[in-house]
Amino acid sequence: MIKSFQQEIIFVTGKGGVGKSAVAAGIALKRSKEGKKTLLVELGYQSFYTDYFAEQLKAPVAFSPVRVTDNLDVALWSGPECLREYAIYLLKSESIYKLFFENSVSKALINVAPALPELAITGKITSGPRHVGPPLRYDVIVVDAFATGHFLALLKAPQGMAEAIQFGPMGDQSRSIDKVLKDSNQCKYFIVSLPEELPTAESLELAEGIEKTLGAKPVIVMNKMLPVEVTPHEGASDFEKFLTNSQQRQNQALSLLGGRPLQKISFCFQNDSWKVVESISQEINL
Amino acid sequence: MKSLIENSKVLVCVGSGGVGKTTVASSLALLGAQLGKRVLVLTVDPAQRLKTTMGIEEGQEAVEIKGHQITGQLFASVIDPKKTFDEFVMRASSQPERVKKILNNKLYVQLSTTLSGSQEFTALEKLYSSFESGKYDLIVLDTPPTKHAIDFLKAPQKLAALFTEGVAKWFRDPKATQQNFFLGLLQSGTKQVLKTLEALTGSDFMKELADFFQNIEQWQGQLEKRAGDVHSLLVSPTTSFVLITSFDEAKLKEAEYFSKEIKQGGYRLSALIINRAFPFWIQSGEQLQSKSPKVMNLYMQMKDYYQKREESFSRFSIRMNQQAKILRLPEMREDVSDISGVELLAKYIQEAK
Repeated sequence: MIKSFQQEIIFVTGKGGVGKSAVAAGIALKRSKEGKKTLLVELGYQSFYTDYFAEQLKAPVAFSPVRVTDNLDVALWSGPECLREYAIYLLKSESIYKLFFENSVSKALINVAPALPELAITGKITSGPRHVGPPLRYDVIVVDAFATGHFLALLKAPQGMAEAIQFGPMGDQSRSIDKVLKDSNQCKYFIVSLPEELPTAESLELAEGIEKTLGAKPVIVMNKMLPVEVTPHEGASDFEKFLTNSQQRQNQALSLLGGRPLQKISFCFQNDSWKVVESISQEINL
Repeated sequence: MKSLIENSKVLVCVGSGGVGKTTVASSLALLGAQLGKRVLVLTVDPAQRLKTTMGIEEGQEAVEIKGHQITGQLFASVIDPKKTFDEFVMRASSQPERVKKILNNKLYVQLSTTLSGSQEFTALEKLYSSFESGKYDLIVLDTPPTKHAIDFLKAPQKLAALFTEGVAKWFRDPKATQQNFFLGLLQSGTKQVLKTLEALTGSDFMKELADFFQNIEQWQGQLEKRAGDVHSLLVSPTTSFVLITSFDEAKLKEAEYFSKEIKQGGYRLSALIINRAFPFWIQSGEQLQSKSPKVMNLYMQMKDYYQKREESFSRFSIRMNQQAKILRLPEMREDVSDISGVELLAKYIQEAK
């Protein structure tokens, strides 16, 4: 058995359009450069990183990890696939699984059965520390998780299921997943935001939701900060007015955060995605 | 855009999360009201953004919004998915005692609030019932945020698959439930599947699941009828889709893919709005002369950045040519957080070429 195996699990969320996937990739790249074997995980059915890392990848992102660079792999996990893997692991036979689950009726059920996909995904993410399922041989798992509301639903699923289902394997698994998600030595939560009023307000709402659900203290990552300080003056150009404006916006957004843990990432003027990710990996503190 | 708004009864705003769909939908609705129409803007918004933007109080059905230059009327409504779903269940059920049972089922509670597809379903349900009421000349639907724009169109099918694939049938034998539910099933194939599922999940879970499916069986007819009605509304000549996207390579690629899907589905994509496409200062074409080398350096970097984006946009618009009208909106000077922001954006939409 694996002894004193401490896997770090990092969840990255945030509303759409804030650069959540780029920040998740930046975090993963940073860990991989530190020599940690790192897996970057995206959730759902369609891959974002396949296009994003087109230059680095030799094959499209899939359920089984593919290599991005030294120490860094990427995978795409959907609910049904996680469930399938878990079922095969428990049944110890792929052919039995196929017999019973590879038909349209079962597929439809798995797709819609309430909370099952969410449970399967959180189960897979936490499978390392729980020693359940096929081993995930990584030091670090970075999850490019669902956006805001859906992410909270994902985190709540194990707890909700544990309350609804008291007995049987489903209840036991749900409780053990919930325990790992709440363990601050194991799981860390990052909320990516933009330094603007509405995204910040939403991030705060989400931070409170995560705190309430798990008792964890998420870090808010302010992305796309504009770097230069300007003082408003007579005859300022449109560009200088824009900078002044952005600065006010940024300061206002930052002041909303109160004493919450905060990280700042500067606006990266690169159209090349790998350069963006590298620059984030250098700037972020973990 | 004026003729699109004038000639439409329903505008469906689609797009992935965070692209500014809610504010654009509100602006389109405002434009309609400025043209003298009675307009309703509908949104499913877990973060309650429209509420903040339009100043709507919690728990109200449809609130009238006052603003400048409105010659018609503008109403806004935030869809409560749980409430809409419950209302649908109550209407669809013939037996009142069953309604209570299903509303208390633990899995139903999950389904009606968090299940993927349920928000999309309730959005369409609310769209149809508002349309059916005949109260409005134009309804603008702000669809739920999805990771990918296409998820919105696929979600109701996922929910409908529950019935068409016959899953509910497995759980339908009431006699069998009284003894041992699973042993009562005669079909050995499904019996094996359920047994395996029970081994994986536990009998407690399976009981809830069986209870759930038995109770929703009676919706089938209503759900199918509704799905048919909604589909006819979505493909009708007075319904148009507006795709809202942000401006980066990944999003533009998604927009292309999505516009193809919309066409294949028999829907009409009338406009593609690229929101926050460029900052306002880039339009003025001024040459910056600043004494600060830092400011100068930043200016050059940003100019170069937007120049490169301009090139990728040219390639994109050639590929998208004639698929839909493409509008580009500038980055606003201020955050859009109230009706005056919506008014300004509406003005940009009207002026955009």
